[in-house]
Amino acid sequence: MLNFLNLSQAWIAAEAPVAIVVLPLIIGALCALINKERIAWLLVLLTTLICSALSFVILREVMASGTISYGLGGWDPPLGIEYRVDGLNAPVLMLISVIGVICTLYALRSVTAEIEPKKRGPFYGAFMISFAGLLGMVVTGDAFNVFVFLEVSSISTYVLVAMGASRDRRALTAAYNYLILGSIGATFFVIGVGFLYMQTGTLNMADIALALSESGESRVTQVAFAFIVVGLGLKLAMFPLHLWLPGAYAYAPSFVTAFLAATATKAALYLLLRFVFTIFDPTADFIISALTWLLAVLGVIGMFFASFQAIFQTDARRLLAFSSVAQVGYMLLGVGIGTMAGVTAGYVHLLGHAMTKGALFLCLGAMWYQFGVTRISDFKGLGKTMPWTMGAFTVAGISLIGVPGTVGFVSKFALLTAAADKGWWWAVAAIVFTSILALVYIGRMLEAAWLQDRPQVDGVDVATREAPASMLVAMWALAIACVVFGVNATWPLELANDAASVIMGGAG
Amino acid sequence: MNSHLILRTVSKFLIPLIVVYGLYVHFHGDFGPGGGFQAGVIVAAAVVLYALIFGIDACKVAVPPSWIRIGMTVGVMLFAGTGVVTWLLGGAFFDYDVLKYDPDHPAGQHLGIICVELGVLFTVATVMVAIFYAFGSRTPDISDEDW
Amino acid sequence: MLSFIYAAGGPATISPPTLIIDIALMAMLVVVAFAIVRMRSLFAIVMLQGVYSLMCAAWFVTLDAVDVAFTEAAVGAGISTVLMLSAMLLTDRQSAPVGAKKSLGPLLVCVLAGAAMFYAIPDMPAYGDANSPANTGPGMEYMTAAVTDVEIPNIVTAVLASYRGYDTMAETVVIFMAGLGVLLLLGLNGNAGFWQAKVQGQNIFSLTAPRTRILTSTEDKPETEPPAPDEAAPPKPKPKRKPAAAKKRAAKKPAAKKTAAKKPAAKKTGGKGSAS
Repeated sequence: MLNFLNLSQAWIAAEAPVAIVVLPLIIGALCALINKERIAWLLVLLTTLICSALSFVILREVMASGTISYGLGGWDPPLGIEYRVDGLNAPVLMLISVIGVICTLYALRSVTAEIEPKKRGPFYGAFMISFAGLLGMVVTGDAFNVFVFLEVSSISTYVLVAMGASRDRRALTAAYNYLILGSIGATFFVIGVGFLYMQTGTLNMADIALALSESGESRVTQVAFAFIVVGLGLKLAMFPLHLWLPGAYAYAPSFVTAFLAATATKAALYLLLRFVFTIFDPTADFIISALTWLLAVLGVIGMFFASFQAIFQTDARRLLAFSSVAQVGYMLLGVGIGTMAGVTAGYVHLLGHAMTKGALFLCLGAMWYQFGVTRISDFKGLGKTMPWTMGAFTVAGISLIGVPGTVGFVSKFALLTAAADKGWWWAVAAIVFTSILALVYIGRMLEAAWLQDRPQVDGVDVATREAPASMLVAMWALAIACVVFGVNATWPLELANDAASVIMGGAG
Repeated sequence: MNSHLILRTVSKFLIPLIVVYGLYVHFHGDFGPGGGFQAGVIVAAAVVLYALIFGIDACKVAVPPSWIRIGMTVGVMLFAGTGVVTWLLGGAFFDYDVLKYDPDHPAGQHLGIICVELGVLFTVATVMVAIFYAFGSRTPDISDEDW
Repeated sequence: MLSFIYAAGGPATISPPTLIIDIALMAMLVVVAFAIVRMRSLFAIVMLQGVYSLMCAAWFVTLDAVDVAFTEAAVGAGISTVLMLSAMLLTDRQSAPVGAKKSLGPLLVCVLAGAAMFYAIPDMPAYGDANSPANTGPGMEYMTAAVTDVEIPNIVTAVLASYRGYDTMAETVVIFMAGLGVLLLLGLNGNAGFWQAKVQGQNIFSLTAPRTRILTSTEDKPETEPPAPDEAAPPKPKPKRKPAAAKKRAAKKPAAKKTAAKKPAAKKTGGKGSAS
């Protein structure tokens, strides 16, 4: 009966979807007790590494044999909770866990500067739980389970953002704002799930989809859709609901910002895709009009509005935060186009932007770590004082603009062609124009960093002081990924294509 | 608070009863309403009552803050640990049936449910007390005259 | 337990007395909710929230959700009232008046959300309908399956701890996280965040650096090596509002600084207290 040594490959492959969530949860709880920060850090690094390995195993399984389904507790899906991994969520799982590894690597040095010594162990615990929450949100095939893990990740994220208070007290107000808006979002989401339950009598996503396609359109379904889209919109910072994002990103500890920017909004976007396309019937009239008028139009408005706001920021982190809102607009536009090409483009942008923005925020964190840089005006001469950090920032920055040879270009080009195919020339114009705006706000920083002289203190030039090695490795890993996937884009495009074909399965 | 003789006497008698009632709610959760969550809140209420009557410093001697940090983790560990044990015994995660085999009735289910509910009890009770300690230990900015 | 609802088969088999109780309780909930919104005294609001929870619990009992009622009574009416009171003790007795403009947004959200729910009413299954999806799908399956699968009389516990035990684990983690957050942000002894760290050779003290900055200085730059003073920076609304808020706070309670100075002492006595 004791199958202790049953850790065969097959066992790991079968249990990986659960292990990838439960392992960080347990480690997170354990970290709350650990006072030695190095031990906590090592545990976290090890966990994220194992989770990445598991996510690769899952991805390979999905690629080889299609959808993985796992009945938790040994119960069959409609009764118990089901974990369901297919081409749509497997890449997101991988993205989250790999970004987790990179951010943990980076955290070794950044946490020493930002978090008080006694609290570092529990702080890592909170990070682990947020990590597990995001993974749990993505991996599950049960609508209510999504809500529960949404709460796990949200609550821990509020705490993580508030921990920036030891650097800047405004983190507390930012976290409070996020808490209020995030709770409203979660409430809306759960109301929507409740309405779905009223309509279908089940919580399993596949079951709901089946029941909805049988019962046809009803007002209950429409209201459920509205509540779920608004709830998730708050989480993914859809344009008019993005108010929490700039503050939270600007004042959170730097590696938390990078992690959130690269994963949290992406997981929420994945959920939006999952709900809109695979649970609700995407051919229904109200969903088609919502895609066009809500997601696409709001996405474009958000692209303009947030890009303009980014241009007028003085704080570098707020600038990048507004840029994130604009980038969410691109993804929503891709989703709103509603064709196979559009969703593929949105999905590639999701993956690519995660790397790009992650790298940018990591670089900003390193600049603060060494020179206390927070404002754009502080960028003066950074190319000379921190050449490697600024190099990574530049690479990621041009990827954000969408220069050919970077992943940003791949996704923007895919988006352009998708919009053109649909005949939405206004969207094409919007993408081009906001890319120019991105050139303006990123270019402003690059110009200050590379073309201006070294800053002086008391008439003496500031010496070159590069970021610590662990930070450099983390940021360059992401920056190089931006270029590699930009030059050779077959892999992300293939993943996105698979994801889109999961979504578009029936609709074509 | 030293003058509230009746309160002190009655609560000295009541507090153990409240804790016992909490445990009853936990272990009777299979049969009647209740379970780990409610039990945890009731146990925490007993601690809060103690703090209200005898002062928070005395309460911190009785229930040291260091326990709280441990209790929180122990709760999660108990819950997730039950799942890990089912794993090691060769079942799916949280498949309580593998915990204990009995041909007549699902004994493993009963065992598993009690274990995970115990985990909930630990976490809920300690977290409630933790939040109370966190607020209660701070000196208020407003004097009593403002009331 | 619930069989008397399902037994009759047809829709709307709720007996009139229960219906009257339901309506009465809901009406009282609405009244209390309005009272909470209208009120300014925080103490009364906290108390009314307790009342609200208790009435919710009573209502859940008439809806046959005894477990939920139990939780609501214990958490909503019990513990959370105490927690809210102890939090209120640290802030104020009266809530500041909120301008009409500021409350317009939330009002709009509430009205829209309510309107959406009303919009859905025509297509909702009737109250107590035995043929509604919720009463025929997996929800009903639990009633039959749990008897043999889990063999415990309380099906709610069976669903909560076994069928959907994984959800409950995540909920436990949510509560754990709440505790961890309190631990990280407030500390258990009321001495939140006294620490120092050495960043690039500069000591940062939690007490001096950020707090004094936010209370006294209008500049929001960290102390580390400002390369050039930022001239002609069009300040965003946030930093602009800051000094005003700080001034208001300082004007309202000059005790703010005093408490900051008092806290280390409180910490020390706390330590001694537990030793003696």
